[in-house]
Amino acid sequence: MFSVFRIAILSIVVATLFATPSLAHKINVFAYAESGQVKIESYFADGRPVKQSRVMVYDSEDKLLLEGKTDNEGLFSFAIPKVDDLEIVVREILGHRNSFILKKSEIEASKAAEKGNN
Amino acid sequence: MKKTFLAAYIFLFYTSFACAHFAAVIPSDDIVTKDESRSIQLDVKFVHPLEMHYMEMAKPKQFGVVHRSQKIDLTGSLKSAKGKSPDQEKAYTIWHAKFPIKRPGDYTFYVEPAPYWEPAEDLFIIHYTKVCVNALGLQSGWDEPIGLETEIIPLTRPYGLWTNNLFSGQVLLKGKPVPYAEVEVEYLNESAGNPAIVRAPSEPYITQVVKADANGVFDYAMPRAGWWGFSALSEADRTITRGGVEKPIEIGAVYWVRTVDMK
Repeated sequence: MFSVFRIAILSIVVATLFATPSLAHKINVFAYAESGQVKIESYFADGRPVKQSRVMVYDSEDKLLLEGKTDNEGLFSFAIPKVDDLEIVVREILGHRNSFILKKSEIEASKAAEKGNN
Repeated sequence: MKKTFLAAYIFLFYTSFACAHFAAVIPSDDIVTKDESRSIQLDVKFVHPLEMHYMEMAKPKQFGVVHRSQKIDLTGSLKSAKGKSPDQEKAYTIWHAKFPIKRPGDYTFYVEPAPYWEPAEDLFIIHYTKVCVNALGLQSGWDEPIGLETEIIPLTRPYGLWTNNLFSGQVLLKGKPVPYAEVEVEYLNESAGNPAIVRAPSEPYITQVVKADANGVFDYAMPRAGWWGFSALSEADRTITRGGVEKPIEIGAVYWVRTVDMK
């Protein structure tokens, strides 16, 4: 009796794990510049963070500027490495990836805003 | 005398059927992707959506947006403008706003208009109106109530809808479902991309009517691409004094969604 109960609970747990819609596997990347930093958010469509995943940042000539890793909230930030169009790629452990281009104009605008504040 | 009577009767007949009032908040886009402009423009107006008639809209009492459960007041960003249908002689006040999307997620814009005096119905009208704009792939927030006196909570995700999709929602009044609420539905004839003006063959086609179930849940399948307005009306438990007389208030929970043809 007890084992039947255990199996039932286990099936519910497994069903819940697999019940997430496939749409939710798509990684999203968003980045913005603020206070001299580039801030990255990586998330699934339903809002869950893309945790502990590799981040690569390229300039407009495809040169790798830096690498990093998202934290448990799917966040990663770094000092603005270059005033340029930055391509930010996030790749999670199963190979799903996506990228975001943070435009040079946005980086310039954030620098100008910072100067304005000082 | 008889003629005047008849004219008045006909007038009343048509005003009671033809004029479903809808407050509308129509954004320039309902889905903002990473490769698009992140600046949204919004039209805030009071209209008969299918007939394309405008009514005067005073400056709303409040206009804002809810994003990640945070309310941002945007009332100060409203700028007045004028609008009219091709067959209206006079132009009426409408409102425009611009909003820069900064972060991913669902943005639910809302408006609480100033009470509108409707002499034909001898009441005031306040339509609490919402519309949702999704930004940058994060589909989160659209199903949360924002705490208006009355509001529609979408049960269908309110963006990325195909023509003929079913839209389901729940009508809330003071946070509680409204059993068997009557919901009026209209197509916005001036939707961007509407290839031809829709003309109703007779009055009942203008405003579609569906009733909610015992839990305040309603459904409607939208047969054309463009913007669709859903309006659930209740009577407020308060009144407004006009000329020394207490007048009832019709409060509406209005929600707008956009459909796109499958191509």
